[in-house]
Amino acid sequence: MKKHRILWIIILFAFATVLFFSNDFGLIDVEKEAIITAVAIDNEDGKYSVTVQIAVPEATSTSAQNTKTQITGKGDTIGGAIKNTGDVSGWFPQLAFCNLIIIGNSLCSTDIIKVLDFFAKTLRVQDSAQIVLADNSARELLEKTTPLDNISSFAIQKILFKNPGFDTDVATNDIKTFCAGYYDLSGSSFMPIVKVLDFNAKQENSNGSSSQGQQGSNGQQSSSDGSSGGGSEDKGKNFFDASTTALFLKGIKVGELNEAQTHAFNFLWRNVKGTTLSVNYSGANEIERYLLKVLRCNTKTKLKADDKGIKMKVEVDIYCKIADHNSGDHNANLSNNKPLPNDLIEQTENILKNNFNDLFKVSKQTNCDFLQIRQRLYRFGHKYYERYQKDCLDLVKPEISVRISGQK
Amino acid sequence: MKTYQLKTRQICFFFLAFTVVNKLFTLPSLTTSLAKEDLWISSLINLTLDFLTIFALLIVCKRQNLSFLELLEKSFGKMGAKIVIFLYALYFLLKAYMPINEQKSFVELALYINLTTDIYFLPFFALAFFLALKPLKTIGRISDIVWLFTVIGLTLLITLSISNTDFYAVLPIGASGVKKIFSASYVGANWYGEGAYFLFFIGNFKFGKKDGAKILSCYAVGVFIVTAFMIIFYGVFTSIAFRQSFALTEIAKYTTVINNIGRFDYVGILMLLFSNVFALSIPVFFSAKCLDYVFNFNKKWIAPLIVTAILLLTTMYLNEFYATLQKVFSLYLSAFFLIMANVLPLITLFFSRKEKKNEKA
Repeated sequence: MKKHRILWIIILFAFATVLFFSNDFGLIDVEKEAIITAVAIDNEDGKYSVTVQIAVPEATSTSAQNTKTQITGKGDTIGGAIKNTGDVSGWFPQLAFCNLIIIGNSLCSTDIIKVLDFFAKTLRVQDSAQIVLADNSARELLEKTTPLDNISSFAIQKILFKNPGFDTDVATNDIKTFCAGYYDLSGSSFMPIVKVLDFNAKQENSNGSSSQGQQGSNGQQSSSDGSSGGGSEDKGKNFFDASTTALFLKGIKVGELNEAQTHAFNFLWRNVKGTTLSVNYSGANEIERYLLKVLRCNTKTKLKADDKGIKMKVEVDIYCKIADHNSGDHNANLSNNKPLPNDLIEQTENILKNNFNDLFKVSKQTNCDFLQIRQRLYRFGHKYYERYQKDCLDLVKPEISVRISGQK
Repeated sequence: MKTYQLKTRQICFFFLAFTVVNKLFTLPSLTTSLAKEDLWISSLINLTLDFLTIFALLIVCKRQNLSFLELLEKSFGKMGAKIVIFLYALYFLLKAYMPINEQKSFVELALYINLTTDIYFLPFFALAFFLALKPLKTIGRISDIVWLFTVIGLTLLITLSISNTDFYAVLPIGASGVKKIFSASYVGANWYGEGAYFLFFIGNFKFGKKDGAKILSCYAVGVFIVTAFMIIFYGVFTSIAFRQSFALTEIAKYTTVINNIGRFDYVGILMLLFSNVFALSIPVFFSAKCLDYVFNFNKKWIAPLIVTAILLLTTMYLNEFYATLQKVFSLYLSAFFLIMANVLPLITLFFSRKEKKNEKA
């Protein structure tokens, strides 16, 4: 009897195992799968045009290089357009590795959430994927070749995901955060604008320090970029810039933040340790130029509402050191963290204060609540929410205090 | 001498392992859809109700040493006991349905790339059937092991999520209003009700000194973890939390380390899924035991087969009516769940008092 029981258990276990592993979790043969690294979305003739950039893994005995292919599909919905890319290629679109969504400028005048909601609602895409706005066509941006990487989306991601120590000059945003901003009380959100910088144009106009960096990149290009073609050497030497930011209200683009405002915006909500500040001011004899490296930044924001109105306190406490300068002090060693001149401190504080004030002005002008004043009012001044919620962007009075310090 | 099926330690681990795990899937988004940022208050209401139920049942344990079945037989006779137990068989059967479908959908969406086979979830029912054949002490032994999976899985996910949590998102407290907060508690009743399990534990473990404190402490730990998870969930997703039906897969993936290394948070997710397989089997187990008591089948496999077959067939064939069923369960059956999980166990407190008086007489 016991022997039979054990036998039955073994049979049942084997049966269950077969059932469980049958279908291999729905895995699709890798050769029939398109591993999508980036998606570019445009509006063409009232339809969504989705271009997917696909990484094609190739077996090779030599050192592997990234190779890619791009397919465009059209549809009335984003899901339909993505499905269409699978229909025309025979590849199953695998979006789990897609880390970049590029939105074409043509979609800015319509509610962009209709595009992004697909990515936020499905588990097929990581909603931690970064979103950017192309300054022109998203497809064209994705098709640009660059010496930085054979796959342009990887090159764009390099400027979006910067390690600590680089400048935090890009106001990055992912799908989840964008949608959260859209659906919260502010109805506002933002994303970086990616512009194409032509390599040759940049080299012609560049100063000495930037051309050094470009030369380094050029060397890399000649060894890695095999796709730019022999006859067209100038083509494919594109760089990307994402230091400006597009502002959205109810999914429609209503304004932009320039480089300085984007930088200031990052001070309010991100860790900016390692970023630099360029400060020029009139010294005793000449214009003194300084590059300051931020070693610590503590930002506190507090919204206070009362019967008199709304105040938003922004306190920024920055500790920095001189990274470079062309002042008259030739004896100073940059390795030493020397005390900052008082004039430099004052000038830097003024520049930052102005930039922070500009953020409030832009918010008021565009009616885009990217500083989340309405949400702060709801959370921290709930008693006054009903009273001020409509006009809070006009009523809010910023009280900005910037404190720059260095070696004492 | 009475032999006990469970040990106090196992009951503590039971609450640690299973109080939390089934509340991490669709419940947070369901609660948020009504209570918004006050979801944690709604959840705390249900958990407090269960805490009080367990507390009341511990008083019953202190007063006498009878199991729930013996208590019912003594108070209402065999027929009365069978009616109550039949209601519990129905309760556990209904209680199992939504969470099973929830885990099925989760596995389908999170683990499978493409379409699944129709029978891929069959092994769960085979396991639930197998467990339902076993005595109560099996649940204790499972709890001894499974709590570790729950704790490790949750620790990993919470650690990864906490850096992306905006804790201010739950402010202002109570802004959703009392009505919405209580409505959210009401519709979530299916996912709570640990007191009903404890009802069937009484008299099956030796109630010693400080055992009550140990059991309540472990349940309180579970309450704390669930509440913390609800706050973190809302803090991560804020205004789009209401549509994050499968919070578990999403909550940890916004960490920089996940972007750099890959989705290793799935280790934690799979651990919780493993725990949840047993958590889902528990109402099946109790439903089968109750049915067996009511009809006294001559073969011990008949009741487990009936219960698992009903759940299997409804899961397979009512899948297309899932949205309607979810509405029916949330809106119309929640009262039944609350009565069976909280009201009836609380009434047991009065039976035991009566019992004591009779004994004295």
